[in-house]
Amino acid sequence: MTTETLSPTRERSPLNNRLRAMVTQENLITFVVAIIVAGAVIVPLAVLFVSSFKVLDPLGWDTTWGFGNYVEMFTDRIIPKAFLNTLIISSGSTVLATFLGVSLAWINARTNCPGRDYLEPYNLIPFFLSPFIGAIAWHNLGEPQTGLLNNWARDIFGIEGALINVDNIWGVIWVTGIFFAPLVYLFVVGSLRRMDPSLEDSARTTGAGLVRTTMTVTLPLVMPGILSGAIIVFVTSAGEFGVPFKLSAPYGWETLTTQIFSKAVGDDANHFLGAAMSMALGIITVFLIWVQQRYIAPRSFTTVTGKGFRPNVLDLGPWKWVAFAYNLMFIAVAVVLPIVCLIIVSLHPVWTGKIVWADITTINYVKTLFWWRPDAIAAATNGIVNSLILAFGGASIAMVMALVISYMIHRTKGFGVRMLDFLSVVPIGFPGIVLAMGVLVTYIQTPIYATLWILMLAYITRFFPYGQRNISSIMLAISEELDQSSRMAGASWFTTLRRITIPLLKPGLFAGWILLFIIFLRELSISIILFTTGTETLSVGVYYLTNFENEPLTAALSMAQTVLLLIAIYAFRRFAGREALTA
Amino acid sequence: MTSENADSYLEVDNLVKYFGDDKAVDGISFGIPKGAFLTLLGPSGCGKTTTLMSIAGLHTIDGGRIRVGETIFTSPKEGLFLPPEKRDIGMVFQSYAIWPHMTVAQNVAYPLEIREWERPDIDDRVAEVLKLVGLTDWADSLATNLSGGQQQRASLARAIVSNPSLLLFDEPLSNLDLKLREQMRVELKRIQNEVGITSIYVTHDQSEALVMSDEIIVMSKGKIEQRGGPVEIYSSPVNEYVSNFIGIANLMKAKVVEVSEPGIGKVEVAQDGQTVQLPCRLTPGIAAGEDAVLSVRPENVHAVDESGEGTLTGECTHAIFLGSYVDCRVRWGDFEWKVISHPRNHPRTGDKVHLRFDAEHTLAVQP
Repeated sequence: MTTETLSPTRERSPLNNRLRAMVTQENLITFVVAIIVAGAVIVPLAVLFVSSFKVLDPLGWDTTWGFGNYVEMFTDRIIPKAFLNTLIISSGSTVLATFLGVSLAWINARTNCPGRDYLEPYNLIPFFLSPFIGAIAWHNLGEPQTGLLNNWARDIFGIEGALINVDNIWGVIWVTGIFFAPLVYLFVVGSLRRMDPSLEDSARTTGAGLVRTTMTVTLPLVMPGILSGAIIVFVTSAGEFGVPFKLSAPYGWETLTTQIFSKAVGDDANHFLGAAMSMALGIITVFLIWVQQRYIAPRSFTTVTGKGFRPNVLDLGPWKWVAFAYNLMFIAVAVVLPIVCLIIVSLHPVWTGKIVWADITTINYVKTLFWWRPDAIAAATNGIVNSLILAFGGASIAMVMALVISYMIHRTKGFGVRMLDFLSVVPIGFPGIVLAMGVLVTYIQTPIYATLWILMLAYITRFFPYGQRNISSIMLAISEELDQSSRMAGASWFTTLRRITIPLLKPGLFAGWILLFIIFLRELSISIILFTTGTETLSVGVYYLTNFENEPLTAALSMAQTVLLLIAIYAFRRFAGREALTA
Repeated sequence: MTSENADSYLEVDNLVKYFGDDKAVDGISFGIPKGAFLTLLGPSGCGKTTTLMSIAGLHTIDGGRIRVGETIFTSPKEGLFLPPEKRDIGMVFQSYAIWPHMTVAQNVAYPLEIREWERPDIDDRVAEVLKLVGLTDWADSLATNLSGGQQQRASLARAIVSNPSLLLFDEPLSNLDLKLREQMRVELKRIQNEVGITSIYVTHDQSEALVMSDEIIVMSKGKIEQRGGPVEIYSSPVNEYVSNFIGIANLMKAKVVEVSEPGIGKVEVAQDGQTVQLPCRLTPGIAAGEDAVLSVRPENVHAVDESGEGTLTGECTHAIFLGSYVDCRVRWGDFEWKVISHPRNHPRTGDKVHLRFDAEHTLAVQP
């Protein structure tokens, strides 16, 4: 209609009026949060990057700038091998976890396996437990001389020598694989469950059998979920510290994480070489997460059709009992055997590989839990208190942050939003141990070093995205008009947040809070870099006991941690349900 | 392009809103008197909702000025922006936006609590408004237990409870089924009449607009196409766009051949060798010799027995019996006329049909 010259252009207002219009409750809070998040996430990674180019002289007194650390990574006697071991372990764990996760998800979601609804929660338990504790348990099950399974095999079947040996790289793959299988499970079970069964039915009508249909239709449809899960498992395995530390490092199979650990603490500590190794590990994981987020995750929604939801499952015939047995086997090796073994070991004053009924004692629990007793082990008793403080405080602060960030991303428009969106993905790309190295080199000369605050800071920075995703998924589902109508009713931004937004988000907030509580309660790879005497956490306490005390004491504290985690898992399932996990 | 009406209660002056580089609203101006019911009508993407959101303060604007009474809501040039909660507006949303964690009474009481009313006054007022919308029996049920129509009533109750200075409706009926929609139209209009709050209603449904409004603004691509009362918009659309959007019209390229007196003249339409001159009304601003679009509603085209001056002859391609009327299609060259006939006397498929046009209701509009 009107030509371009006639139409009005964007008007510019006087500067101070514009500034005044910008300073609103909403903008002020969101701006402050954006700065805090950017500082928390970017600064440690930037300092880590810079530090990796500082080369320590042979005497360890002075540093020069250069690529020396990166050169040393390739010329060192151990580091290249550790690199290779990390790749082998991550690949092996990924294959095992993907196979277990996909097969269990398929059995529970798409077949008539008996009791599948009751089995699912138990399939998921390893997701919440500590893989480090799993490694300790499996060490006591599968060590050649004192392993419980090996002793039973010798007693019952008269086998000479050892049935299994988990103290090697294969043991690491085994434990990591079974503990991360639920990750893959969670990535695929949703789309398997929501998949339109007519897609499979139509394949069956063309004459394809059960196996062929599953291989050519079902699995390709959920392939984006499988790939996403596999990448997450690869990245998580590469950053896993506890399992290789317990099962392979003492026997000559170092990994990148155990090497970073020895460069961060101990006698030959070299933070700058540690920083370079962290950079190497971080670059690999960031690249993989980027591929997952950019190319794979967006596709996973296209496999699901919204309509025609019929809960119709495949009849496996007599094979359903095989599926049932397979499912039970998984729960046995991932949950029941480890816990039973820990209980048995923890009740002995010393562990020789055999149950001695006459010796049964609770002394290990007394020494690791009863902080008021003179024979209490400080590292263990400190751990419980510190971990509870970190889990309560950290989860609460992180959820407040997550809430504000989600709100900014989904409910406000402006320059900070895209940056925040980006900042809430970045921490997922870096293993805890890498971020912890960054936090260490950044804050080592500040007063927060050697306090619980540095641990809390690192925990929150690394894990707030999980809480943020929990809230975002709900925020996307509730209409923005619910907020807007409160503003129209005369309520300010803050009143709206308090009376409308937060009450509506309560389930997501609570699920996210418990999830972070669980993660913080078992956290090891950040804590192990940043703890000092007095700020041990539960997992550090377990590390201390396994390194400097004996297996029964270790088992006792492990059991204490496991019981705390199981209570939290129960609360999580009670209040959040399984959908909260897949978000 | 400033508003002509300085004594309007609500005045929107030269409103401009960008989304990125797209101009969602392109310098529109209008004003309405106190107590009036104005509808912004147009297809999705025409800028009607953006205009509404700008008045509500849920969007910031890039240019222009919005004033209600003595209060300037927003004027970027002067650096003025009144936050939405300070504007004293009631709003009914498309999704109703009834808070699921509160009961109906709590939802409706919310604006009064924000205004710090005394509890007994709140209870009295909530009861009064719930009675007005017919939800008295549902006061204590959770909002999620209500049907769509009931949620809509609750949403309206919440919007009017504080006697706001302005009532905004964002396609409030589009989620309801047809029957309920027709019923709620009348209901909404009744309640608005009763409370007498100045209202702006956004919809893409032309029949909704025709039924409810005192005035209609037809929008397209961020601009105003036409403004007028329902009868005026329907019977005298100013251009092809409006006549096409409101109701059903036969639209055909035409040439103005004669202007006999202001607003009256003749157009020539040609098809397949036949040329016919038709007497008609002319939209102001169209001169002889110019191209125009002929716009005739189907009910103003008549199938007659004899040909004569100002009639044209075509063939009936189908005639569909629809109860109270018969919907006929008459082929004339490449053009198909939509004709509404009386069921007792209508052409049959294959008949040769002569069409006559009411000069009073035949329009030549801007292309």
